[in-house]
Amino acid sequence: MLDYKKPVPVPSDESSPYWAGLKQHRLVMPHCDDCDGYWFPPSQYCQHCSSKNWEWKDVSGKGRIFSFVVYHRVYHPGFAGEVPYAVAVIALDEGPRMLSNIVGIAPDKLVCDTPVEIVYDDITPEMTIPKFRVV
Amino acid sequence: MHHLRDKYAIAGTGKSRLGQVGLNSLALLEEAIHNALDDAGLTARDVDGLVVRGPDDVYSHHQVIAQRLGMDMNFSTSLDNGGASQILSVILAVMAIDAGLATTVVCGYGRDSWTRTHSNETSRMQGNLVPSSQRPREHGPEFGHFGAVSHHAFGARRHMFEYGTTREDFAHIAMAFREHALRNPEAQMKKPLSFEDYMNGRLIVDPFGLYDCSLNSDGAGAVVVTSAARAKDLKQKPVLIKGFATHNNTKGFIAEDHMLVTGAKKSGERAYAMAGLGPKDINTAQIYDCFTYMVMAQLEDYGFCKKGEGAAFVRSGALRLNGSLPTNTSGGQLSEAHVEGMLQIVEGARQLQGIYDATRQVPNAEVALVSGHGGNQVCHSTLILGRA
Repeated sequence: MLDYKKPVPVPSDESSPYWAGLKQHRLVMPHCDDCDGYWFPPSQYCQHCSSKNWEWKDVSGKGRIFSFVVYHRVYHPGFAGEVPYAVAVIALDEGPRMLSNIVGIAPDKLVCDTPVEIVYDDITPEMTIPKFRVV
Repeated sequence: MHHLRDKYAIAGTGKSRLGQVGLNSLALLEEAIHNALDDAGLTARDVDGLVVRGPDDVYSHHQVIAQRLGMDMNFSTSLDNGGASQILSVILAVMAIDAGLATTVVCGYGRDSWTRTHSNETSRMQGNLVPSSQRPREHGPEFGHFGAVSHHAFGARRHMFEYGTTREDFAHIAMAFREHALRNPEAQMKKPLSFEDYMNGRLIVDPFGLYDCSLNSDGAGAVVVTSAARAKDLKQKPVLIKGFATHNNTKGFIAEDHMLVTGAKKSGERAYAMAGLGPKDINTAQIYDCFTYMVMAQLEDYGFCKKGEGAAFVRSGALRLNGSLPTNTSGGQLSEAHVEGMLQIVEGARQLQGIYDATRQVPNAEVALVSGHGGNQVCHSTLILGRA
């Protein structure tokens, strides 16, 4: 989609499995086999117990809105037609927190701690980004 | 008693011109350093140490500044803790002198963010303060998430949710500091700010509106650090360094309770312990005010009121010059100029020197607390200064 005007994520060498999962409409996070902890963004050792014994694992895609803000100012031309739009901190049920957008609801209706679940936004043929909707 | 308490001092302070100066950050810092040296009765020939905030856009900042001063240094470096760097530079100066690496250290920071954000339309839209190579490329920009305003606004929103805080409460912080700026002829902001003005300010990233956000300023500040014994013999009245500490919530601003409990909590506890003082001993506070909410969070974290009671505290008028805790008495970064906390050190020191006329002076100021915050919202530093 050549007309996609917003920033397209640039995967790093460490985050490629995360983006590959999203492309298949799966949300995967680093998971430690020793302490059962999850974390995000990825790193080389478990951020809870420093174990190297970890792998990418599917998570539920369910969580809550820990906090959110509503952009009224345009910082990137791709969002010129979008303001006001919300950006939220999602606290996944498994523990990690991540930034995302909440779809299908007006920004002024959002409330912290509202339960949400993931929806997959295929922004280009190669790239899918995670968004959330109120459950 | 802590072995460094009262052993070192700020012997001189200086600022550059502030506001819409139209001069690059190195030149501004050079100007502030010479003003600080003049204040101390010293020249660049007397300086053997230099600690400055790391470059936003200039490689090896301290080398370039030392070259402008015409000096080789026994000790010099640049720091990279964002807005917490400026107090950290004073801390590192004390450590360097105590270790025998230097005797007289200049600490300073300068920035030209008014010029950089007003040079053209692109710079206005993108807020050209972070080099493009340092901007995130995933986990943020794809959602339209950019920059410091919105990240701090997450904290404000969560505080509002947890404690019933409102934008009306934040207004009292912005109004108090503006009132102070009107008493400060150097301040960038010259007009009064009413409650209606605050509420009518356009929203930037809700819950922050225009007047919740600190200024884009050209400006610089500097201080001279040396031993208390040496400072006693210099031109300016010395200000004693009573306590300091740092704490960095490096797990991230969105992790755990870091939006609500900033690094100020642990940094403050350790700085109080070093100084042998507590919140009740502080006569004036110079709090890092990148955004109104961050002032409220830090006031709570430093123990001036309980967590969640910041709204009532700022509504009481405590922050005003005649209040129980005169805060950001120069106008702070919201109304004097935003120089990443450097001017707050200068203001804390000057209030303790008692150099101002009655319209600006905190009466009988014996002890000042200065805070620094920044570095991806998680780094914090605390400086407790005392009248000599």
